[in-house]
Amino acid sequence: MKRRFEIGILYSRSGNYRLVSDACRKGALSAIADVNADPASPVALAPVDYDPQGNADGYAAGCAEILQKSSARHIIGCITSWSRKEVIPVLERSGGTLWYACPYEGFETSDHVVYMHACPNQQLLPLFSHVVPRFGANGFLLGSNYIWGWEMNRVARDLIADAGGEVRGERYLPLGETDVARLIEEIRATRPGFVFNNLIGSSSYAFLRAYAELGRTDGHFLPQNCPVISCNLTECELEAIGAAGKGHLSAGPYFHEPRGDDRGGYRPRSSFEAAAYASVRVLAEILADNPDAGWEDLPAAFAERRFETPFGATAIDPRTQHATLPVVIGRIEDDGFRIVSRKTDVAPDPYLSRYDRAAQFGEARLRVVAP
Amino acid sequence: MNRRARIPTLGGATAYVLHRAHPTAQTLVRQLSAIGLTAIDCWPELPPAALSADFVFFDVDLGFDEQFPWKPGEAPMPMVALIGSEAPGRIEWALFTHRANAHVLKPVGTAGIYSSLLIARQNFEERKQLAARIDALQARVAERHTIVRAVAALSKDSDYEQGFARLRLLAMNWQTSIEEAAGRVVAMAENEDGNDRRHHA
Repeated sequence: MKRRFEIGILYSRSGNYRLVSDACRKGALSAIADVNADPASPVALAPVDYDPQGNADGYAAGCAEILQKSSARHIIGCITSWSRKEVIPVLERSGGTLWYACPYEGFETSDHVVYMHACPNQQLLPLFSHVVPRFGANGFLLGSNYIWGWEMNRVARDLIADAGGEVRGERYLPLGETDVARLIEEIRATRPGFVFNNLIGSSSYAFLRAYAELGRTDGHFLPQNCPVISCNLTECELEAIGAAGKGHLSAGPYFHEPRGDDRGGYRPRSSFEAAAYASVRVLAEILADNPDAGWEDLPAAFAERRFETPFGATAIDPRTQHATLPVVIGRIEDDGFRIVSRKTDVAPDPYLSRYDRAAQFGEARLRVVAP
Repeated sequence: MNRRARIPTLGGATAYVLHRAHPTAQTLVRQLSAIGLTAIDCWPELPPAALSADFVFFDVDLGFDEQFPWKPGEAPMPMVALIGSEAPGRIEWALFTHRANAHVLKPVGTAGIYSSLLIARQNFEERKQLAARIDALQARVAERHTIVRAVAALSKDSDYEQGFARLRLLAMNWQTSIEEAAGRVVAMAENEDGNDRRHHA
């Protein structure tokens, strides 16, 4: 006889990052179905859905409603860091936990959040290690105008300085803005070696399409010469980008390999789907051991243990509640991503406290700094 | 060019948490280690090794002067006050006597600790630089008398403008400050006086 638990699902089904949101929601719901169908699990999960409709202010209200009106203590949800930061005070007041399935900019550890996707030492740092030796250290930094773009680009500025390069430009667009003509002109004029793209949703698709057009008129901007690199681009958005994405690079904990060896079991279509799926599977294992597990029980539940997830056997650091993850760099091809590098078991370092300039770029690239 | 300020990496730094055994101390130690610091809690005194620490968090509610192995206000590292009761006398003690560089309110949660580290370090460094500048300026002010004597020694027929112009030229030639050049001129003038007195003796 299974014991029934309600769990919150807090993803938008409309708005300009809907594709990412849908991927996460699909991952969470697939995992719920798998747990419910698993005769070996004593847990049955019932989703309590709330749709903030892509409105940043809707998340705190949705989180409060789930925690007040249902028995759910755990919520799988939030896409943007803006929304995550909005719900943390609600979680603290009500004793809830958010399982967060998106890459984020680091520099946060809340007792009320489990971070199941990559932080900068698991995406940004390895991506720059891969890109700088191949395309140089001069970058152009783009972002949507909120915390993800600001913080990712802040770390990128430091990395570019440490690599002896130059930030050729740094520009932000309001969420949802699709007029990218000026950005493209600035990139054409400053001729960087790569473009670091932290635009999200429709802004990002518009930019990639315009950049592909730029590449057709000026060969410097073809992906083999000056790629667009990102830490949040996955399969779930490739259809919206179309052929314009081809050749560009992205880093994440997982890519769905079209020709990969299928070992059976659930194979998510993107790392967003994988991380949301992993969140529910880990939560189900914890509830199976301790049906009353709340936020204060999580560090003990994570200690000395690994959970079976689409990322492999996954450890979660009890101190920071961030997952140890693979780091994969993929290049977009016709039918998905082709893996160009892979590391396994990269422990999280949300505050980049283990960052070492020499290890990142090699001694030779270190800038000479006046005393 | 103005070099852009950069958020420092805190990994490997050491912090002492001077607080009686309490969930506040536990939470603080856990959060500091999550940020990448080595955190050590202690009470009622700071151990000798704390002298080399990068940060000290100290309890304002129950703290007292003898806990610290330095004179009040002369901590060699950034200090963060842990404030529970906001009694004015206690805040005064933390702020004016021990010159806290930042504070965290109790009960301590996960929020606020990272920013307190950055704010405390920035305040501490600025205060240190300011103190060094004031020392240098005070030293220069103290040399006013020497400058007057040097100008007098270099002035013929009481033409002090000319004397000062000579002093400035000497400072330029010697590539030193006016104050240092004045010191040398005065020393040379005194030597000559001494020699003269010996010759006349």
